[in-house]
Amino acid sequence: MKLKKLFIALLFILAVVALAACGDEEAGGNSGDSEGSDDGEVTLHVAALESAYGSEVWENIAENYEALNENVTIELTTAKNLEEVVRPEMQAGDYPDVFLLATGREEALTETLIKENGIENISDVLTMNVPGEDAAVEDKILEGFTDTLATNPYADGEMYLAPMFYSPTGLFYNEALLENHGWEVPNTWDELFAIGDEAAEEDISLFTYPLAGYFDTLVGSMLYASGGPDFYDSAMTYEDGIWESDEATTVFETIDKLADYTHPNTVANANPNDFTRNQQLILDNEALFMPNGSWVVGEMAEAPRADDFKWGMMPIPAFEDGGDRYAFTFFEQIWIPSEAKNIDAAKEFIAYMYSDEAADTFMEAGAIQPIEGIVDKLDGEQEIYYSIYEEGDVLPAMGTFASTEPVPGASITEELYEKIDSVMSGNITVEEWQQAVEEVSDQLRPAMN
Amino acid sequence: MNKNKSRNIFIIVCISPAIILFTLFMVAPTVEVFRMSLYRWGGFSNTREFVGLDNFKVLWNDTNFIQAFQNSIVLIVLVAIITLVFAIFFAAVLTKEKVKGDNFFRVIFYIPNILSIVVIAGIFSAVYDPSTGLLNSIFGVLSLESFQQMWLGNQDIVIYSVAGALVWQAVGYYMVMYMSSMASIPASFYEAAELEGAGKFKQFTSITLPLIWNNIRTTLTFYIISTINLSFLLVTAMTGGGPDGSTEVFLSYMYSQAYGNSTYGYGMAIGVIVFTFSFALAGIVSHITKRDVLEY
Repeated sequence: MKLKKLFIALLFILAVVALAACGDEEAGGNSGDSEGSDDGEVTLHVAALESAYGSEVWENIAENYEALNENVTIELTTAKNLEEVVRPEMQAGDYPDVFLLATGREEALTETLIKENGIENISDVLTMNVPGEDAAVEDKILEGFTDTLATNPYADGEMYLAPMFYSPTGLFYNEALLENHGWEVPNTWDELFAIGDEAAEEDISLFTYPLAGYFDTLVGSMLYASGGPDFYDSAMTYEDGIWESDEATTVFETIDKLADYTHPNTVANANPNDFTRNQQLILDNEALFMPNGSWVVGEMAEAPRADDFKWGMMPIPAFEDGGDRYAFTFFEQIWIPSEAKNIDAAKEFIAYMYSDEAADTFMEAGAIQPIEGIVDKLDGEQEIYYSIYEEGDVLPAMGTFASTEPVPGASITEELYEKIDSVMSGNITVEEWQQAVEEVSDQLRPAMN
Repeated sequence: MNKNKSRNIFIIVCISPAIILFTLFMVAPTVEVFRMSLYRWGGFSNTREFVGLDNFKVLWNDTNFIQAFQNSIVLIVLVAIITLVFAIFFAAVLTKEKVKGDNFFRVIFYIPNILSIVVIAGIFSAVYDPSTGLLNSIFGVLSLESFQQMWLGNQDIVIYSVAGALVWQAVGYYMVMYMSSMASIPASFYEAAELEGAGKFKQFTSITLPLIWNNIRTTLTFYIISTINLSFLLVTAMTGGGPDGSTEVFLSYMYSQAYGNSTYGYGMAIGVIVFTFSFALAGIVSHITKRDVLEY
């Protein structure tokens, strides 16, 4: 009896202790507080995603920056699964000062902080001088890169994320295959489908895609081509009825038509394990075009390929003769969490990202900064991809969906891109798809922040 | 009395480390999941808004969640039944029949269980490959082209492809469990039954099954728990929940909502449902399979 009482008492005490332990501990760390000591020494914690460009490049950058700023010590965290590495630290109140982590990742850490207003406004970085140089940051960044929803997520003209490594995207193909069959690179969708009909007779599919998510850049370019930049912005800000407009319908129906021309294995391979098999279809001359970015060349560098294979990239075709063609520019972002301890030093570090020294270091690793004159420094295949906008009628497309407060169960990217797998396999009709996108857009509109 | 008291103190001292650890790492996080499911929260900021049962109301109408839930139930039921049948069959054959190289088979059957689930995803994505995969190639060789399928592309069958991989990795583990309890059944029972003229099948249903029943009941709970966990890992590694959510299971949906969609509170609400569901299911299964334990 006594044992039981003691036992219950013990349990009770434990429960109280445990509950107290999980109560809210307001994280310390007032933004703006400097971690550094009185003599101006600052330890800057930089967290960067280890992407295809490797982590060594960040070590070089840190070394160069420390040489330039003797009172700054850089503490670097690089990882392929950066979110998983830093999330626990952040939840414990220990935030990195600078993040290189793009939006559009599966774990969506950047989006979460945008939605929770957890990112510092860094508009003033634009007017700062690039460390070690005489130019202001805004004079060095390529035009158009700092006024998109990918840098100004609240559509209020304020920059919260600075543009970093960029890659033009478009339709990738085997130049030799087109030449051997006497097919011209198509300028319009009609021309593209005409090639598709001819190719079908030779058992070559017109189209494939690595993953449904790769449609983000394709659909973006198509929306631009169909309705122009203002229409694109309306779609990205969830304007009522925008997805049921004629311009959007054209885009939906074109993708639906593309389903008839898509390689039959595509959907089966469109998963994180097998998507390179879809890319391999291009290398094996089994399919003609796929939406992708210039990183695919490096990604598939070791893969076997057809004789005289040569990568080609073209912008997304226009809907009518002489219409504008767009190539979506994908770029990564660098930003400062509001909870960072060394915000001023972090801004200084971001300004340094646009210096010639940093750009050269990044370029050695294959990462290209959106800086004036960078295209002239490129050579070989890279020059071809990055000079895509120099063709007369090719325009750059940039942007992403406006940020909203988190809405449970509602994800526009799921409805707009993931559903394409179902459209391709004929499981849903184009009308059902269109309706699903409009519905989720209706849900997100009131939640825009 | 005094002796009794010191004995009690001794007992409490001995069990308190376990209780402290259990409370800290099991009870507290579980309570926290239940608490967070009542909030609207993105995961980082200090702006948590108490929304009561709103998350659960949204859940009720979320067709993606319902699809994920259906997929999970299909997987639990299929994997449990098919694995059970295969594991018992192989266990019975390997213990009761004189199979040449039975130890070899025991090892072969058990190997999938020690493989990482990511390796299994790799193996099965090679097996299911539409053009060069093992399955479609075999059908091609046998001139059974009509059986060739897009195993991971056809949304009507992809969930069964996932189930196939889960069964493959589970059979060996359960087989070994059943074999151990079958081996402890005295051989004299079978000899007596044989003298009475009972065939192999009769011996199996009247002696083997009743005597390993308790073991089977325990494993039924294991099937439920392990399928819920492993299906999440396999789906994440192999299909990513696709095509278009047709292999999404409730844990992968929970993950994508809690992190990918920045709705942490909503994710926790899904966690509460999963927790309750798996507890209830295990309870029900355990209750309806209850029989008197046979002693021997």
